Order: sequence, then C-alpha cells, then structure tokens
Amino acid sequence: MTKVSLSTGVTPKRTSWQIMCNTVHALLMRELKTRFGANRLGYFWALAEPVMAASVLAILFTFIGRSSLAGVPVALFIFSGMLPFQFFSKLLPQLSAAVQANKALLSYKQVAAIDPIITRVVIESATFIVVYIIILSAMAWLGLDVFPNDLLALIAASVLLLILGVGLGLLLCSAVTFWKDTGKVVQIVMRPMFFISGIFFTATMVPTQYWYLFSWNPIFHILELSRDAFFITYTTPIGDWRFVSEISLGTFCLGLMTFKLCRHRLIAR
Amino acid sequence: MISFDNVSKYYPSKKGRQYVFKEVNIQIPVDNNIGVLGPNGVGKSTLIRMMGGTDIPNFGQIHSNKKISWPLGLQGGLQSSMSARENTRFVARIHGYRNTKEIEDKVAEFAGIGDYFNEPVKTYSSGMRSKVTFGLATAFDFNFDVLLIDELRAVGDANFKQKSTAILEERYKNKTIIMVSHSMTELKKFCQAGIVIKNQNVVFHHDIKDAIQDYEETYVTNQ
Repeated sequence: MTKVSLSTGVTPKRTSWQIMCNTVHALLMRELKTRFGANRLGYFWALAEPVMAASVLAILFTFIGRSSLAGVPVALFIFSGMLPFQFFSKLLPQLSAAVQANKALLSYKQVAAIDPIITRVVIESATFIVVYIIILSAMAWLGLDVFPNDLLALIAASVLLLILGVGLGLLLCSAVTFWKDTGKVVQIVMRPMFFISGIFFTATMVPTQYWYLFSWNPIFHILELSRDAFFITYTTPIGDWRFVSEISLGTFCLGLMTFKLCRHRLIAR
Repeated sequence: MISFDNVSKYYPSKKGRQYVFKEVNIQIPVDNNIGVLGPNGVGKSTLIRMMGGTDIPNFGQIHSNKKISWPLGLQGGLQSSMSARENTRFVARIHGYRNTKEIEDKVAEFAGIGDYFNEPVKTYSSGMRSKVTFGLATAFDFNFDVLLIDELRAVGDANFKQKSTAILEERYKNKTIIMVSHSMTELKKFCQAGIVIKNQNVVFHHDIKDAIQDYEETYVTNQ
C-alpha cells in the first residue's frame, strides 16, 4: 500500500502505472454516466437491443418451420452469432470516436490519447460479457442446454474478435483525424457485414463452391470457430485459427503503430 | 528552469507545414513571474500548452524539474458536455484523490455560480468558464511550482479579478506564474520577466519592461 496523506487521500508520488489507472478510472466514471446514466434506460437497452434483434430472426426461422439450425435450437444458435457481432459492430464506432469525445480532457497531462480507448474497450467488453451471461442464464432457465462445449476455445475466439476490433478501432481513430466522415463509411460497410458474417447461417449451409465469398471474412471465421467451440453438434469446415490470429494480431499492431504516428494529430485542437 | 531542447512545432495546413517554433533552444528561469507577449496567432497558447504537457513538440524536448500546472485557459480543460462538478471530480480523480467532495465544495465556493455548477459547461458564459477553470486549478492543496495562465482573467468580472488577484498574490507569492495577456498593465502588475515570441523563436527578457519594448518595436506599427 502506498502512503496516503490523511486530509485528502492523495498519494504523494504515483508511478506511471498508478496514474494511468487513476485516469482510466476517472474516464470510466465519466463515460458510464454519459452512456448509461443520461437516461437510466441505458442498461436496459444494452440488453434489449440484441434480444430484440435475435428475436426477429428467431421468429422468422420459426415461421419457415425450422426449430433447429445445425442441430442447435434456433434462439441459441442466433444468439451465439448475434452477440459477438453486435459487440464488434458497437466497438468500432465507439473506439473511432473515443479520442474526439474526450478531447478537452486531454489538456491534462495525466490523460494520454490511449486512455479513452482503453476505457471504452473496458466498458464494451464488460457489457458484452454481462449481456452474454444474462442471456445464457435466461435460456438455461427456459430449459435449454446452454453450457459451451469448449469454453476455453469460445473465450479464445472472443479475445481474437476483441483484438481485431481494437486494432481496427485504433486505425479508424487515426483515420478520423484525416477525414471526419470515416464513421459514416464504417456504418455503410458494417450493414452488409451483418448478412455475410454468418450470424444466421453456418458454412455447412452454403454450397462449397460459394465458400470463397465468405472465407476472406475474419468475422465469419470467428463466428464459425465460436460455434464450433460452443456446440458439440457443429464442426466448422472453414474456421481457421491461424488465419484469424494473423489478421487480428496484424491489424492490432498496425493500429497501434498508426495511433502512435498520429499522436500529434490526435491531441491537436 | 524550463529547458527547451531543439524544439520545433508545426501545424499541418493546406500550404504544407506551418511552423510556429523552429529549433528553439532556451532555458527559461522560473524564479520570477513571466509575461508572454506576441500578437494573435503567433504561438503564445501553443507555447503554454507545450510547457504544460498538453501538446508535444514535433521535434525536440521540453523538460523541467518543476511541478507545472495544466494550462489555464478558455479553450480545453473543461469538457463541455459535463457539469463543472463532474469536471472537478474528474480532475481530482486523475490526480489520485479518492475523496473528491472537499475539492468540489472549494471550487463551487470560489466560482460562485450557484446552481449552474451542476449544469453542463456548454451552457456557461466565458466569464463563468474562467471562474471554474481558475477555481479548479487553485483548489488543490498541493500547489504548483509554476502556474500557466492563458488570457483567463480578461473575461472575468470585477469580483473574479479581485478574488483571483488575491490568490495569485498570496498563495502563489513564492511560486512562478507564466501568464499570457494582452493587457500591459496586468503584465506589469504581476510579472517581472517577459517572453516575446518572434521569428518562430522564444526571446527571454529579464525585465518585463524590456520585453514590452521589444514587443512594441517588433509588432506594434502605429507608434
């Protein structure tokens, strides 16, 4: 424990690591307030959004007479793709606007440009995990067998998704300083991604000769691998750990480098 | 002492790099209060921001063993979507305070803006902003060795000027104030030494009168 002065609780001399922790904590408090606190419904929407989106798809599938996909109950199948995809598609705009949204606070030298990024990664990841657990618990309560077959592999796939998202987020954050409409392009690109990332289908449902349409897409790979890990009945024919790892780590490194190179642009007024 | 080690700073513009400072090598003694002089857009705020660690030079380094404040100005420092109270809390937290209540009360009392203290900063007038900014920097019980003030007092009312003058004269008596201002009377009142920014360089004068003279000879045309 560091020595704390009695009157105020301020630590006399902090290490860089402590300063960063204090800063991220302060940013976390500030961000939580604007994200969830502005209207107290914030927490509700975090849960309701994926549930509603997945319900629409589940109802559609029920109408066309399917009760299971790849040997898995429809609802569970869709959640296992919808949740990671939503996490990813939320992370990108959040990260690309992170520095801009906290610009005035960067005038304190304790606050580095990377701190708002770290803060938002923490918030998004925590929300993702909590929502995931709540939804799975609810489904378990409804009598479905929800425990992932290979939990470790599921976590690994999610971490790769996180790394990819952070890498792309860092790149976008730098790109925004050159062209402020970058966010709009991302939105446009993410829309078709919803249909080609395998949220409501797997590779086994696609004829082999069309696999090349999906095999370039790291998100598709990650969702395939997640389902492979989640369901004992499903084995992915496409999902490639090596490909996803390379893309994710490559993007992450590129993102960090660009962020470092653009630091002058990021803090400029 | 604040040392500038081959410092260059430019901003990108449509015509290429716009240099504000080019290869500045200077050691600025901080045993006296310093006034910073120069016309608009010459780089006074950039200089202050770089000294406060808010901005970083493109080349070279600035270092100092003194505890330098963040730049107290109307731009930056307060996040406009947050209230003054939330801003205060934030600043207290990044300085490692766990109990922020005491500081919140101090800033609220100094600012004297009543219920506006809990409203978003974007609803404030510039005078109210300057009160909060100044109150925030002086509310902490650690004192900075060097206080950076960027044209903050110009927009305040008489009450604020009086209160802030008292703080500057008493609590910062044995500390250093580095101040940007366009008011020569204010500079003469507070500062003993002066800095003039010219030719993308920093010129230090031990006497503020010499600095003012240098500034007028360089920049003021209609004498």
